[in-house]
Amino acid sequence: MAKYLLRRLNLFLATSAVLMLVLFLATRMFPVDLGVALTGVEQPTQEQQQQTIKAYALDGSGFSQYVAFLQQRLGGNMGISMTSQQSVAGELVDVLPASFELIIVTSLMALALGIPIGVLAALSNSKATQNVIMALTLTGYSIPVFWLGLSLSLWFGVKLGWLPISGQLNLLYEIPRVTGFVLIDTLIADTPYSMSAFKDAVLHIILPATTLAVFPFTVVVRITRAAMANVMTQTYVRAAEARGLSTAMIVLRHALPNALIPVLKSMGLMLGAFTSYAIVVEVIFSWPGVGAWLVQGIYQRDYTVIQSGIMVVALLIIFMSILIDVLHTATNPLSRKELYATN
Amino acid sequence: MRLPTPRWRHAITALCLTALATGCTPEQVPAGLVYCSEGNPESFNPQLSTSGTTLDATSNQIYSRLVDYAADKGAIVPALATNWHISEDGLVYNFTLRQGVQFHNSERFTPSRTFNADDVIFSFQRIVDDKHPFHAISKTGYPFFDSIGFASQITSIDKISDYEVAFTLHDPDASFLSNLSSAFAVVLSKEYGDQLLLAGRPELIDQYPIGTGPFSMTEYVKNDHIRYHRHPEFWGKSPQLEMLVFDITPKSGTRLVKLITGDCSVSALPKAGELPVIELHETLQVQSDPAMNVAYWSFNTQKPPFDNVDVRQALAMAIDKQNILRAVYRDTGVEARGILPPSSWAYNDSLKAQEYDPKQAMKLLEQAGIKNLELDIWAMPVGRSYNPNSLKTAELIQSDLANIGVKVNIVSYGWSVFTQKLNQSDYDTVLIGWNADNSDPDNFFTPLLSCGSIASGTNRSRWCNTEFEEIISQARQNTSKLERATLYQEAEGIMKSQMPLVSLAHAQKQTLKRDNVMQLPVSPFGGIAFADLTIKIAETAN
Repeated sequence: MAKYLLRRLNLFLATSAVLMLVLFLATRMFPVDLGVALTGVEQPTQEQQQQTIKAYALDGSGFSQYVAFLQQRLGGNMGISMTSQQSVAGELVDVLPASFELIIVTSLMALALGIPIGVLAALSNSKATQNVIMALTLTGYSIPVFWLGLSLSLWFGVKLGWLPISGQLNLLYEIPRVTGFVLIDTLIADTPYSMSAFKDAVLHIILPATTLAVFPFTVVVRITRAAMANVMTQTYVRAAEARGLSTAMIVLRHALPNALIPVLKSMGLMLGAFTSYAIVVEVIFSWPGVGAWLVQGIYQRDYTVIQSGIMVVALLIIFMSILIDVLHTATNPLSRKELYATN
Repeated sequence: MRLPTPRWRHAITALCLTALATGCTPEQVPAGLVYCSEGNPESFNPQLSTSGTTLDATSNQIYSRLVDYAADKGAIVPALATNWHISEDGLVYNFTLRQGVQFHNSERFTPSRTFNADDVIFSFQRIVDDKHPFHAISKTGYPFFDSIGFASQITSIDKISDYEVAFTLHDPDASFLSNLSSAFAVVLSKEYGDQLLLAGRPELIDQYPIGTGPFSMTEYVKNDHIRYHRHPEFWGKSPQLEMLVFDITPKSGTRLVKLITGDCSVSALPKAGELPVIELHETLQVQSDPAMNVAYWSFNTQKPPFDNVDVRQALAMAIDKQNILRAVYRDTGVEARGILPPSSWAYNDSLKAQEYDPKQAMKLLEQAGIKNLELDIWAMPVGRSYNPNSLKTAELIQSDLANIGVKVNIVSYGWSVFTQKLNQSDYDTVLIGWNADNSDPDNFFTPLLSCGSIASGTNRSRWCNTEFEEIISQARQNTSKLERATLYQEAEGIMKSQMPLVSLAHAQKQTLKRDNVMQLPVSPFGGIAFADLTIKIAETAN
């Protein structure tokens, strides 16, 4: 296992190095002076110019420039935003929690609904139920997320007026920022409005989370159903039935844990698409996360923001997919067996 | 197979009941108002900017001025100065200051004294004196003051006593008091400035503002919101709102939706096409206020071929203004003939409208020897009160010019980038406009078309004409309204023959609001003043 982990770490480092190389080369193609693209300082003083040349080894060879670039970026120095003149790393710290919050709520929704429905679809004997569930998930899978987001906000926001459709919280609530997660911050805030602010935050997250959850939800349902149907025909399940175990016991104890392994794997594959959907959803619902921030940066030709936004999002995807891979191996004895065989 | 539901059912029912029970308690929302504004302010000091977005977010909210202009009375009224006296030769303005005026209190600054003459001198010396420690902090200069030649107009600003200040001018100037009443002429705190200077961070004075206005700024999150709290010791009538939030929403459609869902109670700058939607919702209202503004299409007259009068005339002739008025303004604007809006006292009724004549335009271009002309139109990305939709205007001009064989590229950036790039002045033409800062007609001529305002960046045509210059400076020094009106009409005549810009329209200022907002005072100059806003308390939006 140690050897395996080491190899995964290796993979993570190598992929990240390639990603950074792409970014490093792309930075050279921005239609501004290289120093400006790297630091975001538009009218640098003589002193600042010298500093930039030194920090990014601009007088050195291509390789030493790349190494200096890596050192700066991974050391947390991403320059300053060209539009706001604030540190990009600081802005990132401000916007990341909102994205995480949305993604965590969405994943919980997708799993909490997707797994039971997938199990239901697999266990149901009625062809009609199965067909309905499959038809619905296929529809959900094919709906473009931007259309869904706009339609939901039109119906539930504009026509019915039930749910707010932009931002994280009614701005009149003044909630001090502690964790950056609005759902938590509102609960721990020391104001008489704490509870109603929390409710408001919940109302605000419903529509974006629902929109974003549809895609992973349908994937989870389909994979759970297939895996469950497969597991339920295995002999050990039949043996359990023969021993007289209740259906609940068989499903929860024996079948589901095995059926969930492919679900985990599919989540790893889904990450890329999921992230781009998250960006679209953030823009539609004015959710103040990384996605909206990145898109704003693109509109304003804010090169330092674009670079860092892409870097952070891509690094997170690489990290998460490798993490899921590791989890998959850790929880699945079969794939460990394959692993030993290849070694 | 039987599914194991029964035991879960209790848990789920219990959960739903709790949710219902908590869901029914009435929502508690802090008392305040959310205003959907259109962009990030460039700075929190209106001295440094001319953009309406910055003025809305700062001037009437955070700061006060020496004197105010009361639109209903059409007169200058006391503010921080309780009264003033003008010497007989018109050169010395003597102001008596209000006593006991408190500055804002913030995390960074606790005032130890009330407002006095030092603050006035500090605020204006910063603009006038280029050796002042705060003068060079502004990277954008002081555009409004530069455009009216404020620094060269003033000989000295003297402290007579703690509560008396005298401004001495070089020449008599009929528009001086009007300029002091404009939204740019705010008073800063000298004590705060000194403290920041000592700490070595003088630039913070424009980022974390301290003023004497009805609201103090407590939080600014770029691209998201600005939060203000009521200033408990405001010298004037205390505002009804405890809290004021600017929800920064650049897209006009999103602002409308936020208004419908109740996320904001007042929303800025609707597009004309959105007004029918408002009629569908009973709780929403459109407020139209007369405004002193003009939208125009400016040629960069220092860049060939736009240095050629014939080219400018030809382009002016080739665009169909009526079409723009119909498509962009609907019923909310009137055609601009000269540059002064009809509500100005110097407005010239007899001025003829520019004729729409594409054939003549082609002929003129041919005579000027211009073939295959290709030009950029810079269009603002956000709606402004004088032009709700610049991009659409640009597209209409694009198609009009295509008819005379001129190819047009439309250029646009985010608002803050747009103004920055505009200041580098390598554009061909730009669609922009002007909101008057005060009631004086000079406010349309000197900032927009005088030689001095090229450097300050408000003369987007970069046009300088000695004859024109002579007339407007004569008009500035004259105190007779009648004679001034004739001079301004003459100036408009020169402008029309030289065509440094094509004036398009004068728009009404429109604001959307929910019906619980009872009174929303919008001045023809300078923007909204939330201090005087009243809302129905019973129905605070959730």
